[in-house]
Amino acid sequence: MGTDSIVWVDEVDPAAAMAAAGSKMGRLTELHRAGVSVPQGFAVTVDAYRRHCTESGLDERIEEVISWLGTDPSDAAVEDASVKIRGLFETTPMSEALAAEITEAYEELCLRCVDVNVPTAVRSSATGEDAADASFAGIFDTYLGVSGANRVLDAVRSCWGSLFTGRALAYRLRKGISHHAMPIAVGVIELIHARASGVAFSVHPVTGKPDRIVIETSWGWGEAIVQGLVNPDHVEVGKADGRLLKYDVAHKSVVSAFDFADGRVTEIEMPAKLADRQVLDEEQVSAIAAAVKAIEEHYGYPVDVEWVISRHRRAGDPVCIVQSRPVTVTADESERTPAAYDPVALAQKFVFSGKPLPGR
Amino acid sequence: MATVVPVDDFTGEWYPGFKPEHIASPYIVDGTGPFTKEDEDKFWYLDFHWSRGLTPLAAFAWGHDGYCWGTQHAAEALPLPPGRGITSRFAGTHLYGSAIPESDPREIGARANRLGTNLPHFLQNYQQIWAAGRDELEATWTYFRGIDLTQEPTSRLPELLTQARRYHQRSMEIHFGVMYPLLVNFLGFYGACAEMGIDTNQIGKFLQGEDTKIMETDRELYKLAIKARQAGLSDVFADNEPPQLREALSRHGGSASQWLTDFDDFLQIYGYRQEATCDVGLPSWIEDNQIPLGLIKTFLLKKEDHDFEAAARNAIAEREAAIDAARTGLTKEEQAVFDAGLASNQAANFPWWQDDHNYYIDLKVMLPLRWTCQELANRVGADHKDDMLYLFWPELLDVANGKPYKGELSGLVKDRRQYFDHWQAKRSAMPKVMGTIPDAVEDPVLIEIFGLNPQAIKAVQNPDAANATTLSGVPAAKGVATGIARVLQSSDELHRLEPGSILVCESTSPNWTPAFGKIAGAVCDGGGMLSHAAIVGREYGIPTVTAVGVATLAIADGDEIEVDGTNGKVTILKKAAELAEAEAAAR
Repeated sequence: MGTDSIVWVDEVDPAAAMAAAGSKMGRLTELHRAGVSVPQGFAVTVDAYRRHCTESGLDERIEEVISWLGTDPSDAAVEDASVKIRGLFETTPMSEALAAEITEAYEELCLRCVDVNVPTAVRSSATGEDAADASFAGIFDTYLGVSGANRVLDAVRSCWGSLFTGRALAYRLRKGISHHAMPIAVGVIELIHARASGVAFSVHPVTGKPDRIVIETSWGWGEAIVQGLVNPDHVEVGKADGRLLKYDVAHKSVVSAFDFADGRVTEIEMPAKLADRQVLDEEQVSAIAAAVKAIEEHYGYPVDVEWVISRHRRAGDPVCIVQSRPVTVTADESERTPAAYDPVALAQKFVFSGKPLPGR
Repeated sequence: MATVVPVDDFTGEWYPGFKPEHIASPYIVDGTGPFTKEDEDKFWYLDFHWSRGLTPLAAFAWGHDGYCWGTQHAAEALPLPPGRGITSRFAGTHLYGSAIPESDPREIGARANRLGTNLPHFLQNYQQIWAAGRDELEATWTYFRGIDLTQEPTSRLPELLTQARRYHQRSMEIHFGVMYPLLVNFLGFYGACAEMGIDTNQIGKFLQGEDTKIMETDRELYKLAIKARQAGLSDVFADNEPPQLREALSRHGGSASQWLTDFDDFLQIYGYRQEATCDVGLPSWIEDNQIPLGLIKTFLLKKEDHDFEAAARNAIAEREAAIDAARTGLTKEEQAVFDAGLASNQAANFPWWQDDHNYYIDLKVMLPLRWTCQELANRVGADHKDDMLYLFWPELLDVANGKPYKGELSGLVKDRRQYFDHWQAKRSAMPKVMGTIPDAVEDPVLIEIFGLNPQAIKAVQNPDAANATTLSGVPAAKGVATGIARVLQSSDELHRLEPGSILVCESTSPNWTPAFGKIAGAVCDGGGMLSHAAIVGREYGIPTVTAVGVATLAIADGDEIEVDGTNGKVTILKKAAELAEAEAAAR
């Protein structure tokens, strides 16, 4: 299955996945091939986006708005252009052929998940989004809990439009990049029914220490953590032996939960009984650490991942990885755990450096 | 901006009759002397070890041969890359110290290279090096013990004085030669632990629970107290003050005679011990029995005996729990570093050595010089056996070589005794720091041993410090205790401590340890995590806060105070005056 417009995570040739499905979806395919548990899903390809822009005449109308901006526009002018262009995406319908293909793929996804109107995560998957410039990550839209073919179609168009958020526009103008140079794909992925989720790093995200895996977690979906809305539980695990080093339980005041009336995931106040409760048990921590370690080994460089523990997961099952990307932080030489106890080096560092001892 | 505390008040005439040539002696980087205006550029701290003040001979012998020579010799030998040891100055009779920095970057680099060779060598051979040093000193000690001074011709006294002075100086070369590398290794380990996220308040515990000769002395002293009780001598101790105790026990006869025999046997092992480190001016327990007898008297007041074995067991259990807790939070790689660092520090244990060595060095090293001075005083018919301690070294040698003592010199000694008393009375008003005060002291030795952390430096400069009712310092030994404060200027006042008292002082030295068997808590102006009170407080399980800066200023004798050794807080609950009023009203 799969066409020029649709590729499935578990079916596309991994060598072609990045180009067709963007980096976010391409990585899911790579992870799947590496044996990591990832959600079911498909991507509306870069080609589909390109064809939509060309055939509907959007390209010309976008060019026109951008040409008004000139080379050094004000923030207000960029924001204004963004609103105009995103409006164009909202009002420009898809070709019937593409809409039919996406609808067909969505119905196939429902079948695979044995569900009616399966809730999905509709995610932008830009080309170059995960490039070394970390400021670019997370700049495009994601919609969680999108259910039903029509809503999926709308969400896909909104994701396309998010290639033209004010931030993205300003970024490209500053760097002199044409939007044609970074077309966007959109992933439509089964929304895992999350009991808990979070992020995990295969090195310490601040110090870069490579000897540990750091996990941050809260109840429900991961949006509240990714967006920094909740103070998550902080967990550290020794990479070599998988031993739990520390588990700091945080007071978690916000949770990303499924709003059934609205049909989407949204942030609400954390129920009091869950706020101070430890999210993960040791088995779950081990499963997350094992997945992160495997992904780092697969790629050969440090990674951060977003993971979900499904309501249906049983002890021993793998956790579900919904995103992975390279970590850019590297350990400062002085932050690395030395290979051995070296009293001379330690004396130079702590006694004769002219600085007070740490922790005093 | 660094503040300057002027030294002008202390640059006038020093001891009566002092001439610069009295302290002329070879030195390595800098020698001792009275303050001069030029010293104002440096940062000086009042050294808490000598709260009584020092006589002329003590000032020279310790201030020069020990403080300057010993530290500067060791700082060259190891070496310390950015520091050349410590120097000393006197304000009246009171000793101030100042670290000597090395600022030439090339020289610092060269010294660092030497450290890179010498420190590992020292750590690998520490047991041997310390044993060899101790054996050398014990051999010299045995030599002096073998001399019956009363039988020596007067003509030999100059030689014996010189040998005794050299014994002390050599002791201090060995002392600092061992202390610096041990301390450097410990602080490096401390830094590594802190960086690995280990709670720094726990690090001191990793090395506790090792028995020392000083603790052994305390236990034996305590056993004597229990023996006295069993022998029915409690009343004799209760009815007599320390100066009269020996005579009262002799008079009592019977069980007291046997007890005095045991006591004298104890003194032959543990009694060559002065009431301060390296101060020729003070008697040993053998010379003056009232100090140990006074301690036994107060032990007998305690309703429950201090359980040394339980305290030692607790210290070990606490150590093992602290090590386990720290290791649990480390990665495998970190555990390897921690384990190696811990093993290195357990084998070459700085906190243990910091207490234990005092038995072999600090508390007895000045005795041969003191005995020879006393013999000389006897030969020249001095009014008091301690008169020679008020001479400077060249004057002392002159007298030993036959220069008449009576007349000019004996007159000077009278004046100098007055001078000593005058300055002793001013001790509590001495500035804790002088010269150019930096915003923050960087030397970890000054911070961890002398307690010169930013908080303490700020506290001692607060003009309103005397009115403070909550004080903070270094949480040195955990636990909370409430009791009546006894503010002691020196260990001469240890007998004023009652069971349950809170000891408040500038700082403690090894001669203070018996007090930890009866007090409920301790608060010190100086010291840090590695100072004596901190180490002993942890071994005895006594809540202790060090580096408060102004405890002796803000707390008055008789105040009811709370010591929180877990959080490093001291609170004055009721002033002594209020307590007295309440008591009067109740009557």
